[in-house]
Amino acid sequence: MPNTFAEIQNEMRNIAKELLESGEATMVIGWEKGALPYQSTPVMIRSAEDVDKLIWDEYCQQNLSTYLIDYIYTDEKVAIFAKGCDTRAYNRLIQDNRIKAEKSIVIGVPCLGMKNAREAAKLPEGAEVPMANACKECRYPNPVTFDRKIGEDVTPWCTERDFSDVEAIEALSADEKYAFWQSQYTKCIRCYACRNICPACNCTSCIFDQSASGWCSKDVNASENQFYGVTRAFHVAGRCIECGQCEMVCPSEVPIMLMNKKFIKDIDSLFGAHEAGIDIDTPAPLSHFSVSDPEEFM
Amino acid sequence: MSDNSVETVKDTAENFEPKILVFACNWCTYAGADLAGTSRLQYPPNVRVLRVPCSCRVNPQFVIRAFQRGIDGVLVAGCHPGDCHYTTGNYYTRRRFLLINRMMEYMGIDPKRFHTRWISGAEGPKFQQVVTEMIEEVKAIGPNRKLRDDMKVTVNTPSTDEIVASVESDTKVVDDNA
Repeated sequence: MPNTFAEIQNEMRNIAKELLESGEATMVIGWEKGALPYQSTPVMIRSAEDVDKLIWDEYCQQNLSTYLIDYIYTDEKVAIFAKGCDTRAYNRLIQDNRIKAEKSIVIGVPCLGMKNAREAAKLPEGAEVPMANACKECRYPNPVTFDRKIGEDVTPWCTERDFSDVEAIEALSADEKYAFWQSQYTKCIRCYACRNICPACNCTSCIFDQSASGWCSKDVNASENQFYGVTRAFHVAGRCIECGQCEMVCPSEVPIMLMNKKFIKDIDSLFGAHEAGIDIDTPAPLSHFSVSDPEEFM
Repeated sequence: MSDNSVETVKDTAENFEPKILVFACNWCTYAGADLAGTSRLQYPPNVRVLRVPCSCRVNPQFVIRAFQRGIDGVLVAGCHPGDCHYTTGNYYTRRRFLLINRMMEYMGIDPKRFHTRWISGAEGPKFQQVVTEMIEEVKAIGPNRKLRDDMKVTVNTPSTDEIVASVESDTKVVDDNA
């Protein structure tokens, strides 16, 4: 079984070539080398001649499952390479009825944790780059669902979620908490990169694109930004697969996962442990209820 | 009384009159509030009741929006679990608001400003008691300054004299009527 980056990359190219030549898939989505050493960007390959563009390295962070949404109403059959988090996103999208299993081929790739590209940009060339924040806490590096798989499963390096950062905020006083979030959300430029990259943010129309509806204006100020932050966190509550893409793409370094993890923590403690996207049979916590939910509103 | 005059009164701490928004479910809490009225139960006039078809109609964004636009406290109230006119609406309310209550606290909003309660159509006295207690609590902690959309809502409405003074002190302004 191939296990090194080079071996897996080689196998990726072979599989892509095979799928495209046989016509089993009309397109393969993988990663190609970006402009900088610490960038690997998604690539859509339609011809077997182009498979050499495909790469597999420590910066293939971007979740490819979300691209499947764009092809749901076409005749294409799309193959994607998927890490553990990508397959969880895939399950979530299937659950949300945003993609169709019969129109896609998932090629699972066990992941050893991606490197933090933001840190890599700051460090000198050749220096040891730390693991990306979300990857540090990853408990599902192996694909949870796949049609084909490359490489052997890896042993997860993290067994339990670390909520110490959420607890640190919870321990602050109300005014300190507010000052903290205010300082974070005044940095936000409302580029919506977090929304666009998020596999849980898959609505056909987003309330933040409808400024005329009065929900949230296009003003970039602390109040509206915080509205945006809380609302988006609530919309992905129970559906967040903790891939940490939102934080990775944020140009202002807003700790978005701190917000998402708070919901995850509360859902776990109130409604029982839930892991989004592990399978397609467990409903999302906010899409159903239990009559025995905790009662606090009497 | 115009909105501006309310703001002016509100800003002096000793005369602070909180604005409380109550999202009342049509079938239970609205009837409960009605019963409080027909039973001549007194409660302070700081509440604004907004009738919704079901407590699960209350999108958590409504609550944040209310705080942004100058409300000092929000009460979301509906039928007791099991009594929902639509059978299961309030069970969804319960799940959502258990989470959003905690999130508001996490954002630094005082939990005293934001409550969810089950008030049935027969619980006129409970409606009176809940809103009275809430108004007293919010009065004690003062006006809400957090999450406020100050671009749109003027917190300190200047008096006419102040506006005139500021215009006069601005030498760039040419008074055409002079």
